[in-house]
Amino acid sequence: MTFRQGQKVEIYRRSDDESWEDYMEEFMGMHGIITDPDTSKNDPDALIEVSLDEKGTHRLPQDCLRVIGQ
Amino acid sequence: MSPHTCSVKSLHEELREKLNTGDPAHPWCRQKASEIFDLVHDVSQGQAGGDHLDSIIELAGHLTDQGPDAKCRELGQYVTGFVNRNHEEFLSHIHTHTCPTGHCPMLTPAPCQMACPAGIDVPSYVTLVGQGKYAEAISVIRRDNPFPWVCGLICTHPCEFMCVRGRMDSPIAIMDLKGFAAEKSMSARQYVNPEPLPDNGRKVCVVGAGPGGLTAAYYLALRGYRVTVIEALPVPGGMMMVGIPRYRLPREVIDREVSMIESLGVDLRLNTRFGTDATLDSLRSEGHEAFLLAIGAHGSYKLMIPGEEEFKGVLPAVPFLRRVSLGDHRMPGRRVAVVGGGNVAMDAARTSLRLGCEEVHILYRRSHDQMPAHHEEVVEAEEEGVQFSYLTIPKEIQGENGKVTGIVCVRAELSEPDESGRRRPVPVAGSEHVIPVDAVIPAIGQEVQSQGMEGFEQVDWTRRSTIRVNTVTMQTHQEGVFAVGDAVTGPATVVEAISGGKKAASAIHRYFEGIAQPTLPSVPVRRRRLAHFEAPAALKTDLQRPQMSLLGNERRRVTFQQVRLGLDDAQAHNESKRCLRCDICIRCGRCVEICRDKMGIDALCLGYLDFDNPGPTDLRITAERCIACGACATNCPTGAMQMTDQNGYRVLSLCGTVLNRLQLEYCEICGAVLGPARYHDYIMKRVRDISPEMSNRRVCLDCARSRSGGRHAEITPPRE
Repeated sequence: MTFRQGQKVEIYRRSDDESWEDYMEEFMGMHGIITDPDTSKNDPDALIEVSLDEKGTHRLPQDCLRVIGQ
Repeated sequence: MSPHTCSVKSLHEELREKLNTGDPAHPWCRQKASEIFDLVHDVSQGQAGGDHLDSIIELAGHLTDQGPDAKCRELGQYVTGFVNRNHEEFLSHIHTHTCPTGHCPMLTPAPCQMACPAGIDVPSYVTLVGQGKYAEAISVIRRDNPFPWVCGLICTHPCEFMCVRGRMDSPIAIMDLKGFAAEKSMSARQYVNPEPLPDNGRKVCVVGAGPGGLTAAYYLALRGYRVTVIEALPVPGGMMMVGIPRYRLPREVIDREVSMIESLGVDLRLNTRFGTDATLDSLRSEGHEAFLLAIGAHGSYKLMIPGEEEFKGVLPAVPFLRRVSLGDHRMPGRRVAVVGGGNVAMDAARTSLRLGCEEVHILYRRSHDQMPAHHEEVVEAEEEGVQFSYLTIPKEIQGENGKVTGIVCVRAELSEPDESGRRRPVPVAGSEHVIPVDAVIPAIGQEVQSQGMEGFEQVDWTRRSTIRVNTVTMQTHQEGVFAVGDAVTGPATVVEAISGGKKAASAIHRYFEGIAQPTLPSVPVRRRRLAHFEAPAALKTDLQRPQMSLLGNERRRVTFQQVRLGLDDAQAHNESKRCLRCDICIRCGRCVEICRDKMGIDALCLGYLDFDNPGPTDLRITAERCIACGACATNCPTGAMQMTDQNGYRVLSLCGTVLNRLQLEYCEICGAVLGPARYHDYIMKRVRDISPEMSNRRVCLDCARSRSGGRHAEITPPRE
């Protein structure tokens, strides 16, 4: 999945990536907006910045995200 | 209790339930329980003082010790245990006026504040800017971010993506307001540091003077620590100074904000590379007990194509921008190709133009709408004359006599989405072509350079070659060693580095004090509770996001002068008034539901309240339909929706936006306020059949009842 700035996303699953931390379990099911897709290249492995509705902004691995709207 | 549940709200609801169901039954006990309930209510409303928690525990102790029956004593024990178990959360409610779960509506931070990685109290400083209190605005920002001016110019502003106003028309220009306030207060010499705590004698060494390292230095210095910052470069600021071109971020801005940090006593040692000029042992021998690694990501990814290492004229973007920032203004070539589509690529291309390059091409292998660079950066680059070649993949760098002469590219087309949904650029057979250039600047990504860090033997590295930390505390695997910034996240944003620096400063303090470290990320704290501006709905709707003046294109192409010239006073003040004040209105939608479903009026067209499915918003339509019944205001949990009687009018407002204003009517008999005619008509329509006395007359309920009662008195009850 290619993520773009401004897309609405849902954290729909636990990530398999090493950067997934325990506290992120609480974000499951939450919706947010991609604020920084990655820094300089379209890299499916890059951690991307997501502003979660009422939970703050976090860098998350991409495999836990899915787009829910434009 | 689930970790999502607010303990304060939970106790509040439990006590309410008990009191409503007559438990406890003993009057003395009920009185004490009511007093506890009132105190907990104050905590949940952000109205508690320093003594509230002690008073709750004391009252609960009375119940336990003096309770006349078992139920009373059990309640006292329960409250005492509950408060002790959740002591920190109660204190947090009292001291920060913030409810991290969002269950205490009065204490819920606005989405913009939640979106800010540094957690800045955006609504408060936006309001202060509107009031002309620029220095106060800066002091609010610096509670969470010591670089308001820098961030006012170059922040990626995720706050604006979450701005609720953006669901109506366009988001508030939050970043621009921050830059405006910083410039104003700095210019007026009102940009000052808070008073630091007395020197505590403990020493901390920060490796790297970028935004993350300097932020940690600032907050540690305020706590009384002696901070040494060592920096390999001859200038402080890290990527802010050597990665962001001067036309976006003037050097003076960085210098002024760094000097504010230095003036707190931070020892900044430039031209000092860790591992060579200073070692772990030498720094420890100076008394440093904790270390913060903030070394950034100053390495560049290679294109990995033939010719890259062979010819002079291939200069990766990061060293290129660094070289220019440090004063080397020689142009890299007459014709330049920048490879990449991110912000660094835009910076390299626009910098090349300013150095005098005649042709600057950006080669990007995907399409325009897939570029990670910010839209404004792309537009400004286009305006300045950068030529964009999309769906273009570099294949080889050509050269003669050891110098670059061209770059061989192939055109690409995007494939059908693969199983992950990603469309990949696929080379088109036979589309090979050469773009003649003298210089190639790869800008396809950055990496952390770990050389010199070998001294930190237990620090662990990830497969992305970044430092592994607990991102709640920024602690590495080595005791007393913390890390922040791009070295942890990979190349990211200035505000994320600042966020990490603030977290690390707190964690380092806890490390020294032996205080337990948090297990969840900290939640932004509301710094102020400010009154809103009053504005008519029409004005609130019509105000537009300001268009910032830009430097003329001719000058942009030849100088490094700042391109974005800032807002003027009127623009800033009006923009502040556009804010919907989501720190007051929590967008629960109760007002809309009550008006539509209970009253059947449907006067509130507030589609912006819904995050996932925002609908149309029309603030002006309320005046056409609203009867000023007040049901919305009565049911508003935060007081955002208010109805007041002012000078003969009933006024309905949402966070100061006047939605409706109707003339009041008065009882013909006693002169009491009846409400507006529309409201009276609404009531009359419903009671006409059961109370004909009120038909067509402006009479209050009391007078109608009394007249009706008088008539009924003449009726003789039937005899049994």
